[in-house]
Amino acid sequence: MTVFKTFWKVVKKYKGTVLLYTIILLVFGIINMQTKESNINFVGTKPDILIINEDKEGKLSKNLENYLRKNCNCIELKQEEIDDALFYRKINYMIHIKKNYSKEIMENKNPEIDVKSTRDYNASLAELMLKRYVKVQNVYKTKIKNEEDLIQQINKNLKENTTVQISSKIDNKQVENASYYFSFASYSIMAVVIFVICLVLSSFKEKNVNKRTLTSSMNYKKYNRYLLIASLLYALVVWIIYMILGIIILKDIMLTPRGGIYALNSFCFTFTSLTLALLISNLVKDKNAVNGIVNIIALGSSFLCGAFVPQEFLPDNVLKIAHMLPTYFYISSNELLKKIEVINLKELQSIFQNCLIMFLFAIFFIIVNNRISKYKRKVG
Amino acid sequence: MFKHELKYSLKVLLKNKILLFWTLAFPLIIGIFFNMAFSDVEKNEKLDIIDIAIIENKSWSEDIIFKNAFESLSDDKNKERMFNITYTDKKNVEKLLEEEKITGYIEKDKNVNLVVKHSDINETILKYVIEEINSNKEIIETLSKKEIEENYKNGVYTIDYQKIYQEVINLINKEEVELNDISKNNLSYTMIEYYTLIAMTALYGGILSMFMINKHLANMDSVGKRIAISPIKKGKMLLATLLASYLIQLFGLLLLFLFTIFILKVEYGTNIILIILLAIIGSFAGLCLGIAVATLSKSGENTKTGILLAITMFGCFLSGMMGITMKYIIDSNIPLLNKINPASMITDGLYSLYYFDTYNRFIFDIVSLIIFSLVMILLSIRGLRRTKYDSI
Repeated sequence: MTVFKTFWKVVKKYKGTVLLYTIILLVFGIINMQTKESNINFVGTKPDILIINEDKEGKLSKNLENYLRKNCNCIELKQEEIDDALFYRKINYMIHIKKNYSKEIMENKNPEIDVKSTRDYNASLAELMLKRYVKVQNVYKTKIKNEEDLIQQINKNLKENTTVQISSKIDNKQVENASYYFSFASYSIMAVVIFVICLVLSSFKEKNVNKRTLTSSMNYKKYNRYLLIASLLYALVVWIIYMILGIIILKDIMLTPRGGIYALNSFCFTFTSLTLALLISNLVKDKNAVNGIVNIIALGSSFLCGAFVPQEFLPDNVLKIAHMLPTYFYISSNELLKKIEVINLKELQSIFQNCLIMFLFAIFFIIVNNRISKYKRKVG
Repeated sequence: MFKHELKYSLKVLLKNKILLFWTLAFPLIIGIFFNMAFSDVEKNEKLDIIDIAIIENKSWSEDIIFKNAFESLSDDKNKERMFNITYTDKKNVEKLLEEEKITGYIEKDKNVNLVVKHSDINETILKYVIEEINSNKEIIETLSKKEIEENYKNGVYTIDYQKIYQEVINLINKEEVELNDISKNNLSYTMIEYYTLIAMTALYGGILSMFMINKHLANMDSVGKRIAISPIKKGKMLLATLLASYLIQLFGLLLLFLFTIFILKVEYGTNIILIILLAIIGSFAGLCLGIAVATLSKSGENTKTGILLAITMFGCFLSGMMGITMKYIIDSNIPLLNKINPASMITDGLYSLYYFDTYNRFIFDIVSLIIFSLVMILLSIRGLRRTKYDSI
């Protein structure tokens, strides 16, 4: 029991680190939740735009503004905030309607509209909308000379007239959030498990402490077993904490079968991280070096396997390299869960397959670990 | 004496592999990760060609306007090609949608019906294109009707319908909407990632000064005990050791700049002198942070390293290292947090040089860094001066 108790005493010393990575996950999860709304009907994507309308009196400009407001998310910002917002894609498109716009249209001139664009998908969509409006307006204005009639005709033309059916039945946004949360959690889980276990075990392996343990009456098998049980328990506690956080942040989705699969998947991952941690702790004794290795492994596999950037955005050759890391299989299960509509055995097959691969990684780490211990004992 | 101390401090630092790892190798490795992860992100944001399917039935082949429009939009010679179309039957189309090989399919009866799997951007674009063609159709009908009515009014009864119809189509085709695009050119937001990397390196440099300070503290190191009782000026000696760690720190940063500029092709804007200035002051802030952690925390060396790394990592997280929008969210919602976060000051300084033409924001960041450094020094001075130990 002494060993077991000491283990937790040392873990307590590193609670700051555990807290840090957990807070990072928490901040990420909460912020991510706020940006998404849920839906099962077709809702057109609305690009985020900003309209500056200097032609306050003009009816045509007002009509254009109304049209854009209906079809885009209009965001109000101060003049000095616009450029920042564009850079960070808070808005995708800025439209500046100049003074006398309506008057010039009726005089058959072609007043310019200034735009600022982020040149991405959403900006293209906003531009599509704007161009369509202006085109309809310009064509009609050659034939219709009365402003009221022109506006009426434009609006009649731009009315939505396509029916869209949606075939998928899952609430995409909510599931997407869950997948984001769990993928990002791979970073926190890995860092917290490897970091703490390596540091704690290296305190046990400190020269003097080790010597004293060796000379004590305790059987070394019992000693090792206690350490292993304590490490397992620690990993389990980490997993449970992150699941509880998941329930708090993601709410009801975690209480469905899908949530159960997310939990199972992350459990496999936590276990694999634990075996990796035990292997590293056997290889590296220096506490400072542990710091470096944890950062490289946790950050590296998160970046390469898609914890921060979704896997669909990663280049193919990076994904090929990522296949060598357990995190890849964990995250691809998360991404699969995003797409599966009905939970049944057939659909879950590839997820179980990923779990199995993670276990194989774990077994591999355990075998290597044992080999090294054996070799060390011989040499020592 | 100063030279001697500087030389030996450099030697001590250069022999410590772990310190060198943090300052020289770690940033480069992370840089490579960034490059691997982010190289395709922005490319994926550009509009791709969208895969769709159309059910070929009688109603479709009779609607010339729709048919022509989609044929032209899927023509690979067309520069503004938007779609890749599969023409097939209903059964096959549902399978394609199920397997997500297509974004959606169009089935035409009296109206044009669109079936999609999710609500997303490609689906929305497809819907808009259909609506645009519908609205062109309506323009043709209304304007032709209007023209015919006018002809009747003017007593012209021999009407060339074909001609009127063609005129309206020409009017629509002729109309090109010109927008005046005044966007800035440097819009690549993944650059922020690399800027956080520079910030991280500058602050991680503090690990060097922390190591040197620890060596001088009598309660941390036996060398410290010897120094404490030796009859030399502590101030001068401290300055020499700190200069040594600062030099190595700057060297690490230089290496990272060269690596990111020439190998990873990161853009920093054009004003090199200001970038160097920012790097020098940023590393100085890191140096001061290291001193402060070393003197204020009364714990062992490992814990001190942990504290320094944790502060830096969390600072980098807030300035966008694990998700670029984080910086914007903090900047616009809790601006104070990033105003006292040295990682964000450095990131923001580099960003303002890259993106803006004016220097107000850059100057603000530089001044913030100087203030941050001074505060760190003031906090440490109390801990460093005239220390006395009853027992060690």
